[in-house]
Amino acid sequence: MVGQNWERVLWKQQPYPDNYVPPSFLSSLSKNPNLREYAYWALILDSCAVTQHLSTIFIFLAVFVRLLDCTFDPRLLVFISAGMFVTGYALWEVLDYTQVGWIDGSADRRAKTAKASILVFLALMALAPILRTLTAATSSDSIWALSACLFLLNAALADYSSTSLSGRVRERLTSVLSMNAAISAAVVLASRLRDDLSVFALVLFSVQLFALFPILRHRLQATPSAVQFGSTLILAALSLAIVAPLSGAVACMFMAVLGSATFLAPAILLWAQKYKNEIRGPWDAATPKVS
Amino acid sequence: MISDFFHPNVGGVENHIYMLSANLLRRGHKVIVVTHSHPPDRVGVRWMLPGLKVYYIPFPTLVSSATLPDFLTFLPYFRTIVLRERINLVHAHASLSSLGHEGILHAHLMGVRTVFTDHSLFGFADAASILTNKLLEAMLRNVDAAICVSHTGRENTVLRANLPPEDVYVIPNALVASQFKPAPVAPPSHTITIVVVSRLAYRKGVDLLVAAAPRICAAFPNVRFLVGGDGPKLIDLLQMREKHFLQDRIELLGPVRHRDVPNVLIQGSIFLNTSLTESFGIAILEAACAGLYVVSTRVGGVPEILPEDMISFANPTEDDVFRAMAEAIAIVSRGDHDPHRAHERIRGFYDWGQVAARTEIVYRAVMASPPRELWTRIERTLALGPFAGLIFTIILAVDCLFFMFLEWWLPREDLDYVDCEWDLGRFGKIVQETRLNPDAQRRH
Repeated sequence: MVGQNWERVLWKQQPYPDNYVPPSFLSSLSKNPNLREYAYWALILDSCAVTQHLSTIFIFLAVFVRLLDCTFDPRLLVFISAGMFVTGYALWEVLDYTQVGWIDGSADRRAKTAKASILVFLALMALAPILRTLTAATSSDSIWALSACLFLLNAALADYSSTSLSGRVRERLTSVLSMNAAISAAVVLASRLRDDLSVFALVLFSVQLFALFPILRHRLQATPSAVQFGSTLILAALSLAIVAPLSGAVACMFMAVLGSATFLAPAILLWAQKYKNEIRGPWDAATPKVS
Repeated sequence: MISDFFHPNVGGVENHIYMLSANLLRRGHKVIVVTHSHPPDRVGVRWMLPGLKVYYIPFPTLVSSATLPDFLTFLPYFRTIVLRERINLVHAHASLSSLGHEGILHAHLMGVRTVFTDHSLFGFADAASILTNKLLEAMLRNVDAAICVSHTGRENTVLRANLPPEDVYVIPNALVASQFKPAPVAPPSHTITIVVVSRLAYRKGVDLLVAAAPRICAAFPNVRFLVGGDGPKLIDLLQMREKHFLQDRIELLGPVRHRDVPNVLIQGSIFLNTSLTESFGIAILEAACAGLYVVSTRVGGVPEILPEDMISFANPTEDDVFRAMAEAIAIVSRGDHDPHRAHERIRGFYDWGQVAARTEIVYRAVMASPPRELWTRIERTLALGPFAGLIFTIILAVDCLFFMFLEWWLPREDLDYVDCEWDLGRFGKIVQETRLNPDAQRRH
């Protein structure tokens, strides 16, 4: 054509028509630049957090049903909660020790934790009579619907990511919302119970399950996969074992939900990845890197 | 020319449409602009110098001067305007202007050809982009030609709208070089003033500026900043200034009117642009034209607009902006950059007259190409996709029916055709007559 080579510049008048398609057209286009091929087992491992979370919700519901029809002693639940707290805290300390190493001033920190937990314990106990009559004017049907919605919100917004090894939990707005939804659901459910002790026990239990356990779960996700698989398996089995005597149908549905969350959903994600077509090029807004 | 974005708003698209229209008029074409009205005072038909007729259509605006995209309501106005003005070609501007989209959709009913100019870059990854890109693809399905302002923009548009690359032309923006003259007296060389004029928003990379400015101030004690513009990130700049005690080194001017920009620019010797995305970067060009050395992030179409020796590029990281600024400060303090020479060079690079001539070539090519039949249009629209294709085919069909209804309701014969055109010479004569003989005006 013309002796002069085409250049990708606008300031120069070039002997090419304005609609000339240079050979370098779209050369800086990149497709799926940061594609990470998923591996099925890694996905299953990542889905363990979801399974664990669903299991805790079902464990909570099963415990609630038992408290409601008085087949479960609330005093026992209080002891279980206390035991869970102590075990969880011990586990936390062990993880801290193995992952981060020994930190100075941990005795002071532990004293603070103990003080805070005793305060929460007493506050809940004092609040129990109020919580019991909180929704006395609301019909039970509304409560079931409300708590179902809140649990759905909780499961949808929960933070299933794992923390980095620094041990600092990144607080996102959604994870806070999720925790609030679960605690609200627990409170409205507890207000259906008959005596103050049951209310106290259930709310205490819900704090263990929905406020403290997710924090521990983040740390657990950074542990070897065997530990994760093991804890998931134990939780799922436990929840199934508690739910099954109450209702076979619910147990079957729950099992189906757990199975699809753990095995089917990763498979679908893996299959859908071949449709991924992400286009990147010089027109994309850059992300500023500020140190 | 059809766009939602036109005078009395100010901005890159608005200015582009005006300058292009004025230069096409100069080349002997008849140009009218159709945009939405700006109540209370910008309504109806207005004339702008030099004899540019502007139709302000009474449509309410939604946000940032865009009208509601409803595909059909523009047709009655559009048909009347096109017929009575005897229009041959519709040129729509800006990909988020629904008036422009509607113009392209309706034009074929009157046998009018279409050209579209895209002024912006869009990504592909977020939900908003996916929706607008599909809309753009549907609307540009039947456009005769598209114009982009940079090669990067062209690649982007070809991908977004799924157009054949031969139908997409690259015609850059231009600027009126005489409006951006370097300072007659060179700014003092002992202090180097860095000018930033930009909307202070995330997309303009204000975070980079906030991070890099204190480092630059600390490393070069003879540097001061002059920041013009307003926006949500102004508060970040203020905080940064306070935190590092730089009140006497960083001057914030607040909002700057476009006609005051040259006066701001000539106070400095380096222009810093930290945009994260930019399809053309007219602000950079204006600064370079005013004799400033430019430091910019390497994004979008920016690398295309200036030769390498007039601009320093940085990657969009704090460290690299600092490095590029240090380089630029060295060049300027050595006196290697001659503002007047830079101005002369830019004057030769960009000219609206050339832009108009190149656009005219596109118009001629479009007018010479065979128009698409309605059936081909329907087929092409259906090929959009199983879902979007159907929706847009229905819109197309309803549009045709609506047009037939309008043909019956407002017959072409009854329209009030425009036969009397604006004549600058005649206008001048009348003005002179009234000046010479003030009584004549009273008698009229």
